Amino acid sequence: MSDIGRIGPSTGVVPTEGAHRIPVLPRGLRRAPSGIDEVATEHLIVNMGPQHPSTHGVLHILLELDGEVVVAAEASLGYLHRGIEKLVEHRRYHQIGTLLDRADYVSGLHSETALAMAVESLAGIEVPEKAQWIRSLVMEVNRITSHMLWLGTFGLDLGAMAPFLYTMREREALLDILEAITGSRMMFNYVRPGGVLADLPAGIGVALDTFLATFDGYMDEYDTLLGGNEIFVERVRGVGVIDATTATAFGMTGACLRAAGVDYDVRKAAPYAAYAHVEFEVPLGTVGDCWDRYAVRMEELRWAGRLIRQLLDGMPEGDHTAKVPKGLRPPAGESYAAVESPRGELGIHLVSDGSDRPYRMRLRSPAYFNLAVIDEALSGGLVADAVATLGSLDIVLGEIDR
Amino acid sequence: MWGLGILKGMAVTMRNAMRGPITVRYPDQRLPLPERARWAVSHRYDENGRPKCTACLICVKECPDHILSIAVSRTADGGKHIDSYRYELGACMMCGLCVEACPYDAIEMSHEYELASADQGDLVRELLHDVDAASPRRAASPAKEAADA
Amino acid sequence: MSPLLQALLRTLAAVALLLVNGVVLILMLRKVLARLHLRLGPTRVGPWGVLQTVADVFKLLTKEDFRPSGADKWLFRLAPVLVFVPSFMAYLPLALSDTWRFSDLDTGVLFVLAAGSLVPIGILMAGWGSNAKWSLLGGLRAAGQQIAYEIPLMLSVLGPVMFAGSLNVAAIVNAQRGVWLGVIPRWFVLPQLVGFVIFAIAGQAETSQTPFDMSEAESELITGFANEYSGMRFGFMFLAEFSNMFVVSALGVTLFFGGWLVPWADRNPLALALGPAVFMLKTYLGIAVMMWVRGTLPRVRVDQLLAFSWKTLIPVSLAWTVLSALVMRAVNL
Repeated sequence: MSDIGRIGPSTGVVPTEGAHRIPVLPRGLRRAPSGIDEVATEHLIVNMGPQHPSTHGVLHILLELDGEVVVAAEASLGYLHRGIEKLVEHRRYHQIGTLLDRADYVSGLHSETALAMAVESLAGIEVPEKAQWIRSLVMEVNRITSHMLWLGTFGLDLGAMAPFLYTMREREALLDILEAITGSRMMFNYVRPGGVLADLPAGIGVALDTFLATFDGYMDEYDTLLGGNEIFVERVRGVGVIDATTATAFGMTGACLRAAGVDYDVRKAAPYAAYAHVEFEVPLGTVGDCWDRYAVRMEELRWAGRLIRQLLDGMPEGDHTAKVPKGLRPPAGESYAAVESPRGELGIHLVSDGSDRPYRMRLRSPAYFNLAVIDEALSGGLVADAVATLGSLDIVLGEIDR
Repeated sequence: MWGLGILKGMAVTMRNAMRGPITVRYPDQRLPLPERARWAVSHRYDENGRPKCTACLICVKECPDHILSIAVSRTADGGKHIDSYRYELGACMMCGLCVEACPYDAIEMSHEYELASADQGDLVRELLHDVDAASPRRAASPAKEAADA
Repeated sequence: MSPLLQALLRTLAAVALLLVNGVVLILMLRKVLARLHLRLGPTRVGPWGVLQTVADVFKLLTKEDFRPSGADKWLFRLAPVLVFVPSFMAYLPLALSDTWRFSDLDTGVLFVLAAGSLVPIGILMAGWGSNAKWSLLGGLRAAGQQIAYEIPLMLSVLGPVMFAGSLNVAAIVNAQRGVWLGVIPRWFVLPQLVGFVIFAIAGQAETSQTPFDMSEAESELITGFANEYSGMRFGFMFLAEFSNMFVVSALGVTLFFGGWLVPWADRNPLALALGPAVFMLKTYLGIAVMMWVRGTLPRVRVDQLLAFSWKTLIPVSLAWTVLSALVMRAVNL
């Protein structure tokens, strides 16, 4: 697809005199347009990141620019690599969740649930109904916190400061609720193989009701502030188009894939937790540009609010966890479990050799696949488009670098 | 009409400005922590002010980051004596697994959250120093059973 | 008093106003944005955080004056001066009231705009001299933007100038005395509404405020042309930005909102004595609106910015200028 060799450290060859005498232009140089034969212009290679306000962490992108137009983009990863997959091989099964919280640190409950499901299918553990519903509930709450962070930073990437600080209002309210449920704001360690750590504390229903009462109104405000703003629309419509073919070819999942019109949501395709018992729609886009990704996520936010209401109302009685021994030793074998994290299909592949620690764990991180497309998505746009497109992909570097 | 959305957006920010700040002046005002909040590990003490820790070392084995260590010696009457209970706060991720594992309810995740320090020495804490360990029999007291029920 | 001494004192007064404005406006920006964003803003330094900017000035003064090794020494050093001096020059023709003025230039409005058009040169020098790619992009953007928006700004000013028949700021303000139809103040904003809108848009662009903060573009170019600057060199650029805000707002007040005149009381001696305060109040209100816009809108893209200026703003302002000239001739206002 892309010629990865286009950029690299060796391209910056600058002829100091008489560029026209060079028969073949070095890489990175090209003839100026409109027949000015004697003038060669140079492509500018800039390092976007790892310390750049719009790379959402420590992503490093090599941008090859022709003026302000992006010619090629290459992501350079690994600044946040902590070797989580390897560390897991030295942890007992109930200790792994603490690491996975730190992989996708914006939506830890999703990776925890994926792990719990993988372990459960390995060890053949039956999860009580109530635990399944609590999992769905906290995951939807977590989805809102994650999407809110995305919405705010997406606005910030486009230069709008207000939405970022407004989204923090919703995010904080829900993080407080999650802290009351799980004991931590982001590093939850709550969903365990067999169920969840503890039952919902008293008063959570009231707290969520209070939140939901204002949620739709605030969502309308965001729609006015961003979606209704002509400048915003101009900035995102037709920018960073990733069509269905490209998206599927790159293995993209989540809102980025659905924005291109592909109807794939793990919650529908392979229902887990309590998603088979609730009603929801999967919003789809058409073109796959930044606007579609924005619109799909906004719709998902509204649906997450409705799902929380359904899950609260339908919450069954019962145990919050099955009896699981601390030193769990699942039989030798493999399992794969996937959840629909805010970024896409987050999968955990576990291999057990019968001991109390996994032989191998592989994390299918959705943002990694979503990021792989940047050369296609960024090339041809301006630097400002690159920032917008990157913001619309909703990447989390903790999960990409692992 | 082009520009109407911009004006509506300006109305939204103005409406929010009228709502007033949602943040608090942190060191002067603090938000309450929920019951389950997990912060620095601390010990529990019985009614006589003695630690409930029996030096069973289960928390040490349970900690994913290996940041707890207990130096134990024997007392003359054959009981356990805790020379030191070391806790590396700087490497703790407050997962709470040690507290969950403790069979004697001797440690807890406290609500002490202002943990930053300019001195690296503060990040390693000696939670217990030179105390006799509780005997498991005493720890399984009626108080504990009541708490379990 | 010798004319030289007098000129010196007037200049010093302008510098003092500029510095005070800078400190006050930075605090005001923080507080206004904080309010719009549901925050408190600075609260720790002094009561209500009022000394925060003073503390910041001290911080900037004591910071290391850093110059990248590959930077063009002279361009790098000159650029902050070239950014700062025009913004200061633009203060000189302003009049706070009939008597409170730094100078009495007959071409005052023109002088303000001319001084403003020097700024891109300094920004371009900063961008080029820093020897950094992000700075260069920022500098080039700034140059393109300022040139594009200079033209509609000048055209939009023409309306009030034609009405008043003078480029002197005092004459323009004095031409706005009185009322129309017995109630409406004779401010030029009413007949020149389109001109004012163009002025406001171009002014926002001229001062590099969101949605037109192309040259800084925090989320794209980090801080653009000022990327490699530290200490007081950065402080000068920062200060220039805020003083430009003041100048644009003050110019808008002078041209469209009757300067220091209090509506319906523009011959009242007390109201005239309060002129400077009224002028400052109006100007700060204008700045508050600019900050409100800044806190709300996303940034436009650089090509959209230029297209908007060349394809929309300039034709509209040209047409408007011709139209208002024709109407003025016909009605003989």
